[in-house]
Amino acid sequence: MSGRAAPAGWVGRPLKRLEDPRFLRGRATYIDDLRFPGMLHVAMLRSPHAHARLVRLDASGAAALPGVAAVLTGEDVARAMPALSPLIPIPTPPRTYPLAVGRVRYVGEPVATVAACDRATAEDAVELIRAEYERLPAVVDPERALEPDAPVLFDEMGSNVLWHDTLTYGDVDGAFAAARTVVRERFTIHRYVSTPLETFGVIAHVESGTGLVTIWSNDQRPGLTSGVVAAALGIPQNRLRLLALDIGGGFGNKRKAPYLILAALLARATGRPVKYVEDRRENLSALAHGANGVMDAALALDGDGRFLAIALRDIVDEGANLQNPTLHSLLKLGNIVNCYRIGAVRFEAYSVLTNKCPSGANRGIGKPAMCFAIERLVDLAARRLGRDPAELRFANFIPPSEFPYETPVGASYDSGDFPETLRRALALADYEGLRAAQAAARREGRLVGIGLAAAVEPSTSNLSSYMLATGKGGTSGVGEAALVRVELDGSVRVATGNVASGQGYPTVIAQIVADELGVTPPDVVVSPWFDSHENPWMFSSGNFSNKFSGTDTGAIVGAARAVREKILAIAAHVLEAAPDDLELRAGAVGVRGVPGRRVTLAQVAGAAYRDLLALPPGAAGGLEARYYYVNPAATRPDAGRRVGVQLTFSNSAHVTAVEVDRATGALRFLTYAIAHDCGREINPLLVEGMVHGSTAHGIGATLLEEFVYDDEGQLLTTTFMDYLKPTALDVPAFRVEALETPSPRTPLGAKGVGEGGAIPSLAAIANAVEDALAPLGVTIRHLPLTPARIWEALRRA
Amino acid sequence: MTRHAIAVTVNGAPRAATVDARLSLLDCLREEWGLTGTHAGCEHGACGACTVLLDDVPVRSCLLLAVQADGARVTTIEGLAAGDELHPVQQGFWECHGLQCGFCTPGMVLTAVDLLARVPDPSEAEIREALAGNLCMCTGYENIVRAVRWAAARAGERRA
Repeated sequence: MSGRAAPAGWVGRPLKRLEDPRFLRGRATYIDDLRFPGMLHVAMLRSPHAHARLVRLDASGAAALPGVAAVLTGEDVARAMPALSPLIPIPTPPRTYPLAVGRVRYVGEPVATVAACDRATAEDAVELIRAEYERLPAVVDPERALEPDAPVLFDEMGSNVLWHDTLTYGDVDGAFAAARTVVRERFTIHRYVSTPLETFGVIAHVESGTGLVTIWSNDQRPGLTSGVVAAALGIPQNRLRLLALDIGGGFGNKRKAPYLILAALLARATGRPVKYVEDRRENLSALAHGANGVMDAALALDGDGRFLAIALRDIVDEGANLQNPTLHSLLKLGNIVNCYRIGAVRFEAYSVLTNKCPSGANRGIGKPAMCFAIERLVDLAARRLGRDPAELRFANFIPPSEFPYETPVGASYDSGDFPETLRRALALADYEGLRAAQAAARREGRLVGIGLAAAVEPSTSNLSSYMLATGKGGTSGVGEAALVRVELDGSVRVATGNVASGQGYPTVIAQIVADELGVTPPDVVVSPWFDSHENPWMFSSGNFSNKFSGTDTGAIVGAARAVREKILAIAAHVLEAAPDDLELRAGAVGVRGVPGRRVTLAQVAGAAYRDLLALPPGAAGGLEARYYYVNPAATRPDAGRRVGVQLTFSNSAHVTAVEVDRATGALRFLTYAIAHDCGREINPLLVEGMVHGSTAHGIGATLLEEFVYDDEGQLLTTTFMDYLKPTALDVPAFRVEALETPSPRTPLGAKGVGEGGAIPSLAAIANAVEDALAPLGVTIRHLPLTPARIWEALRRA
Repeated sequence: MTRHAIAVTVNGAPRAATVDARLSLLDCLREEWGLTGTHAGCEHGACGACTVLLDDVPVRSCLLLAVQADGARVTTIEGLAAGDELHPVQQGFWECHGLQCGFCTPGMVLTAVDLLARVPDPSEAEIREALAGNLCMCTGYENIVRAVRWAAARAGERRA
């Protein structure tokens, strides 16, 4: 249960990171740090219009500029590759390519690309490309996009709707009919994204003769990207070598197969290595935005204030995203009831195209919006019923005795103690004291508010859940792969199919393997980089949905234990002892109770690789194992369309107090307390770092960040001067307390943590602001809560 | 395009290049001199990832032209450690887990080095104020603040 046990081994210790020195010394290798002889640099011509016909494109001026090696237009690309496949089955699928062909559908869409001797020359060449457009009416608002007379992005589709479905679980109508209280609200969710400080980048090289394509990139899902790129290039996957180096932050954003394809096509056309790295404007306007949308949500309560049902009509604005839509919709199913016992659920989902940047994965994806909606409804219900918001939550939490708990939609909560988490957060924040201080402040006319939010943090996406939207099989479950190898001298090396972008995997993996093989973490070398020709990997390999604890740990432990078994078998033969009598520790295998009868790992490895006749009779040589772990909790949707969209469930509670300045609308944090439970923490130092960072993401999303489009689809926020990220002055000091309720479903009891604070913080802060403005009767329906927006609310109150 | 010969003392060593007038100091450090520890985060002076010290003053190397550094002393992240020994600010970032993806770290560390040179024992508010021009997307700043305090305390011990 809760409370942290003293670690017996390396797992559980707050070890500082083994990989840090190269980052601290400026010696890391990010994609832009890599260069090759003869390398060309790429710049893109991008659409200045949200929606237009591309009437004429003349790139001859660019091609003639000295230093330019190749120019590709959309039509060149369409001749060189098959169309990209849309994720959603569409009767007449639109044919789209990495460059626009004949029509542009968002500001920033790539139209043509140039490879030249250096980036500046490539940029000069782009300015010489003449493009003529005939503007079309743009559709910017997702509700407008649903109307029958709205402009349509893809004529072949006949409408902008990618997916519309209503999923009903339990007697929703009965519950609403029987309800004593129903709270309804319409929330608009804004566009924001976590903007890794390093932009997306790629280098491609095509080997003449063999046609082997080698691509270095900071794509965070190599397992998925490999297949997309190979298909586009018309090569078998064994002729695509995909590598990832140090990655300067991911958060879901670092995925863009089309850029890998373009770089490879340019490399093919020129016979030279080709590098493309986004500039910040390209990154902010065209990589991927977290989707905006509209959530009409209603919560039914009985006479005792118990939650009976939730109903949600959810419109997700995917922008011009055909390749991976419905992410935001489906992930909301994972936390639609959040921490509460709610018997009936209705979820009407729309996934809609507009003339905006394609939507994409972003720390938590739909979960922060879902948590925002339900935690806002709970606060509105508490206000309506005159009950304390904490008390109403306690009255509706799923009790710890009911775990494992299956929600109506089919999510199976593995472990947790929601009441205790909230109790800890309230104590950490001194909730009673805050309420007293608030009462005193209000008497002085000051606007002080207290907000709280509870949240499950669903982690490890079950890819079978896409069947709800696509109806297609062929992709299901989720897993990861690992290799553990003892080298000839007894040293240990590990590689996995995942890529690190700041999570500290090399250190955490070393801790896990050190425990399994009886060595210390610094003895274990974890390949810092991914190489599809070296690392073991599968389709789901890579970094998404907090999956490390739900899949990677299983692969690492599985491989390490297989190696351990072989070590013991060889040692038993050498020592003439029974394997059960052996113990593996401090880099050696010894016979229990017989001091001195031992062989070192190096001696065991010596038998495995060199002194082969010392092996047990018939044993194969080598001392390594690969393990492809499949999370056992994943299932396909059942007949009632119930499915565990995600497979482990961490939880947290945020309690914050804010003061709003009446004159300016500016907000100041008075306190920010976080209690969280991600099961067993493999490295508490790194876990706490992710709790801080994810909460800061939520604070940015709640107070500052918004991609603003005008009515014609022009993006107005394309720099960090108008798309504002939180600085050290915007983020408060956090008070953090950890609980540990180990998951019974993962090999080490660990659960996801990376999205963490990005999920409840939006609701907690919004609830605090609404509480601060309660004397004025303001309801918060939109984010971000910029000073201007709060000031406007104050003025109208 | 006119090209200009420049001479800069980088991390104590003389460096020379002949550069286009439009070349930024950032690109000069990275492309001409191979010092890739200085990072391009936004290239419009908003994120601070490209911060270096120019004659001991922190500057955005993306907003300076290489020709403006002619005759100056530049310190980059590569020049901070004394051989195997990390600078106290680097050590503080390691001890306090003040970095995750590491991309902002060089600029963040150099900004903190400048702060501690001016204010040896800064308060939390002074640290946050000093770092407010450097964006970090990973840490939420909490552990960076701790790292700077750690470095200030270590430097204080050495002075005592």
